[in-house]
Amino acid sequence: MVRSQRNVVEATETASASSSSSSPERAAYDDDTDFFTAQRNDSESSIGVSSLRDLTMSPTQEREHRVSPISRLPPELLIGVFTKLNSSADLRSCMLVSKTWSRNSVDLLWHRPLCNTWHNLQSVTRSIQTTDGYYSYNALVKRLNLSNLNDQISDGTVNPFQMCKRIERLTLTGCVKLTDGGVCSLIYGSRSLLALDITGLDAITDHTLKAVSENCGRLQGLNITDCSKVTDDSLVAVAEHCHLLKRLKLNNCSLVTDDSIMAVAQHCPHMLEIDLHNCRQVTNISITNLIARGRQLRELRAGHCHLLTDSAFLDLPKNLAFESLRILDLTACHQLHDEAVEKIIETSPRLRNLVLAKCKEITDRSVMAITKLGKNLHYIHLGHCAQITDNAVIQLVKLCNRIRYIDLACCQRLTDQSVKQLATLPKLRRIGLVKCQLITDRSILALAKAANPEQRQKSMIASLLERVHLSYCINLTLGGIHALLNQCPKLTHLSLTGVQAFYLREDLIAYCREAPPEFTEHQRHVFCVFSGEGVNKLRDFLNNNTELAYETEGTMYDDREADDMDTDQQQLPGLMHATGLNDDDDDMDEVDGADGSQYELEGDN
Amino acid sequence: MTAPPRGTLTLESNDGRKIVVDRDVAERSVLIKHMMEDIGEQAEDQAIPIPNVNEAVLNKVLEWCAHHKADPQTTNDDDSDSRKKTTDIEEWDQKFMQVDQEMLFEIILASNYLDIKALLDVGCKTVANMIKGKSPEEIRKTFNIQNDFTPEEEDQIRRENEWAEE
Repeated sequence: MVRSQRNVVEATETASASSSSSSPERAAYDDDTDFFTAQRNDSESSIGVSSLRDLTMSPTQEREHRVSPISRLPPELLIGVFTKLNSSADLRSCMLVSKTWSRNSVDLLWHRPLCNTWHNLQSVTRSIQTTDGYYSYNALVKRLNLSNLNDQISDGTVNPFQMCKRIERLTLTGCVKLTDGGVCSLIYGSRSLLALDITGLDAITDHTLKAVSENCGRLQGLNITDCSKVTDDSLVAVAEHCHLLKRLKLNNCSLVTDDSIMAVAQHCPHMLEIDLHNCRQVTNISITNLIARGRQLRELRAGHCHLLTDSAFLDLPKNLAFESLRILDLTACHQLHDEAVEKIIETSPRLRNLVLAKCKEITDRSVMAITKLGKNLHYIHLGHCAQITDNAVIQLVKLCNRIRYIDLACCQRLTDQSVKQLATLPKLRRIGLVKCQLITDRSILALAKAANPEQRQKSMIASLLERVHLSYCINLTLGGIHALLNQCPKLTHLSLTGVQAFYLREDLIAYCREAPPEFTEHQRHVFCVFSGEGVNKLRDFLNNNTELAYETEGTMYDDREADDMDTDQQQLPGLMHATGLNDDDDDMDEVDGADGSQYELEGDN
Repeated sequence: MTAPPRGTLTLESNDGRKIVVDRDVAERSVLIKHMMEDIGEQAEDQAIPIPNVNEAVLNKVLEWCAHHKADPQTTNDDDSDSRKKTTDIEEWDQKFMQVDQEMLFEIILASNYLDIKALLDVGCKTVANMIKGKSPEEIRKTFNIQNDFTPEEEDQIRRENEWAEE
């Protein structure tokens, strides 16, 4: 066990054990939902094995221990108790109990002062600025997250925090009014900074990142998503000075070129995760070098890096395996072919997440290569890879039976054969079949039967399916979906946009969620997504109003009779037209983070 | 002293009592586990002194270890429930922890000394649950703690930490 003792707090009169710099309990679930805290778990703390208790006690101590047994706990154990308190209000109460309790809880309370409202922020800044405070609060702040107040934050607002020179995590996501002046005032002298998130601060220039390179030698995580003014000038300096960088997000930093990425590959050997989404100047040489040199690289996202070609991977050194790589996202790298995918699988045998959506050139040959990942594969996105056939999907399911998430949107050649096989995946949680227009209720009934009767019988495990995307699967009817609802108790999302059997039914639409505001009238008309409670309400409605819901009854659990339902269907030309309207975002209505965290993109279509 | 049966250990509490216990139960304690690894097999033949823990507490701790001997050892597995924020405690442990405060804090101290992380965790959570939602005065009453702040000091801290109110 590691006992973190690096924080020396002048304010506390005695040498009580200091709180650790980031306690896992607080780290994982607090409201710092920025990129870094959501995923990292590498700094560890624990209350630790204490030294032997002092065996010699004074009579006063003995009396105190008898009267108040909790006084026996040494500071590190008292802190261990306080660590389990999640609310600031409870910690504040502890601070007021006694002097001992106070000095052992103040670090925890001020570790991450709550600046979620303007009122709190003002209170926090007052205490930080005060020169005769009971404690020197400014030295205790380790995390500062102002993202909740986003556009209310100005350079003037953050000014008082320049006193806090021990900040380790600074999260300014969406504080769009901040400029170089404000951010730099926080950066100067912040030698302890480990993670900086300035997502969306589009006024930020190289000036800020130069300051980062000059001041923050311990930096491990940097997220400058949408900071579109940043150039290689400062990023190369960051790479050269921040050797400990592990996580880097450069999404939509359109001025970034291979120079930056090559510097990162060269100078930052600890790189774990890098996201180059839509860095449109990045070419093959960056990707080849990141993989070849980053022997710890776990996650590489290069979606929409449209210049990438097969060479990015074919040029990787021969006979070398990159065992660390778990996540690879190559969305819309449309110049990639089967050769590249084969090489990827060959060199990265432990891939867990693979996103090849919109790599339109790839065929069954790629899928056959992917099957070699076997049980390592948990997450696969092949949306818009329209050349893929049932054969490949069936093989994939047979050999990669740990798949939890699969998206095959717009793989229009796929039929019920594929889905029946997919239904046998024992761990399947999410399935995307948007616009797989050949599939029928037979597919849905297979999913409902969930496939895994053996396991179900053994342990009574119901289907694990949580999210099912079936928009524009125009042949679907009530029967299949009703069975699916009843067999999948964990279902929280069901999208059926453009499926006539649903969007035309006023009684069912009542439980559907609101269409996103930017949708056109036609898009609203066909919109049909059930989520959260809506799913439960739809299930209840169908169960309670069977005779209303169906012309024919009692067919939904019987595979054979599903055939009859198919005959009810007819396709409207207008529907096909509708699918063309929003071709771009119909395949995935969620983006799954590396750790399973989701950023919902509202609107299935 | 007759040799204890194979696969058992003898622990000696600080009040000189010898307790025979299954080795796999005792080895929920990382301290004892490491000790056994260091000393080797002959350790089974001699009593292991546990100088910081008395018989009553040691028995109680071993009761917990016996109940949890089949639990998977805690790891830093990302998916495990250990990262859960809640102070939820499983039912058996809750009952187990229904002891007077003296015993409660002795268990915490012993689990810390013996390095039984899961028990320490349950202990700390139990105490945290006794704190939750209470005012400073209620906390003092609960644990019999003397308020050694002057009214001015208390007021100052209250003011300077106003943001933490809910």
